[in-house]
Amino acid sequence: MKNLRFIIVVIILMIYNCMFAQKYGTKTGNIKFEATVPSFEEVAGESKTTSAALDATTGDFAALALMKGFRFKVALMEEHFNENYVESDKYPKATFKGKVEGLDVSKLTADAKTYTVTGDLTLHGKTKKISDAAKVSKSGNTITITGAFEVKPGDFAIEIPSVVSKKVADKISVTYSFQLVKP
Amino acid sequence: MKKKGFIVLIVILVMIAAGAFFSYGYLYKDVRNISSEDASFKVPASKLISEYAGNQQKADAAYLNKTVEITGKVTQVTDSVLTVDSQVFCGFDVKPDAGSINKNVTIKGRVIGFDELFGEVKLDQCTITTKE
Repeated sequence: MKNLRFIIVVIILMIYNCMFAQKYGTKTGNIKFEATVPSFEEVAGESKTTSAALDATTGDFAALALMKGFRFKVALMEEHFNENYVESDKYPKATFKGKVEGLDVSKLTADAKTYTVTGDLTLHGKTKKISDAAKVSKSGNTITITGAFEVKPGDFAIEIPSVVSKKVADKISVTYSFQLVKP
Repeated sequence: MKKKGFIVLIVILVMIAAGAFFSYGYLYKDVRNISSEDASFKVPASKLISEYAGNQQKADAAYLNKTVEITGKVTQVTDSVLTVDSQVFCGFDVKPDAGSINKNVTIKGRVIGFDELFGEVKLDQCTITTKE
């Protein structure tokens, strides 16, 4: 009788564990964006300090990139990005809140599967709905999510002055890669 | 007369060269080197955390993009990141010494903002200045 009670407690604990210990996170996610026009100088920035969290039971996904954390090869480009375009003193972060549609962690393997990620991307004080196909894989305790999407500066009320508009692409391609681990 | 024209030509050439040199220097100036900059603030990590927890906008106005020196205890080491006092994330460009765990350190870095997802203040381009 005592033994049975012990087993029940263990089972309850295991279920509890399965239901609530499903948060995965990273603080060193990678986001790159590129707006290079062919035959002009490379326009690209990269953040290696993006935070992201995934609730594996619901598929809820959130990411937060600090704008100052984007680094460029050319110092002046970084300055223009921060001061003129994203105004990072006023809007220091970009956030994404969304969902990995139909995520089932038990079916994830080391081979990446494609899932649709939809959600709201907020930066420069403006929010836009984003949807893209992300590749999701899992090995051991790590869930890896990678993907790419395109945005326009105009979607976020960012004006590119006509002097440089030829050197900055109309569509900015953003790629991301997150290796989320169970804390 | 010929000589004068020659001098004028040289002066013009020197001016063009100088102009090109300075505009090139302006366009392609070096990116900031945080490790060689003097810190604008020297604060305990706990103070930075409490200021950000208290009023994020005010703290951003004071610290954002500034080079700071923080002191505290290293609570976690993962790859290129040291966490100080559990709540200050210090990103390194060069892999930090993993042996600094549980030690009191002073770290110089650039404040890039506050991360609400994990409740941490984030620094990048960090270097360890002193270690106990």
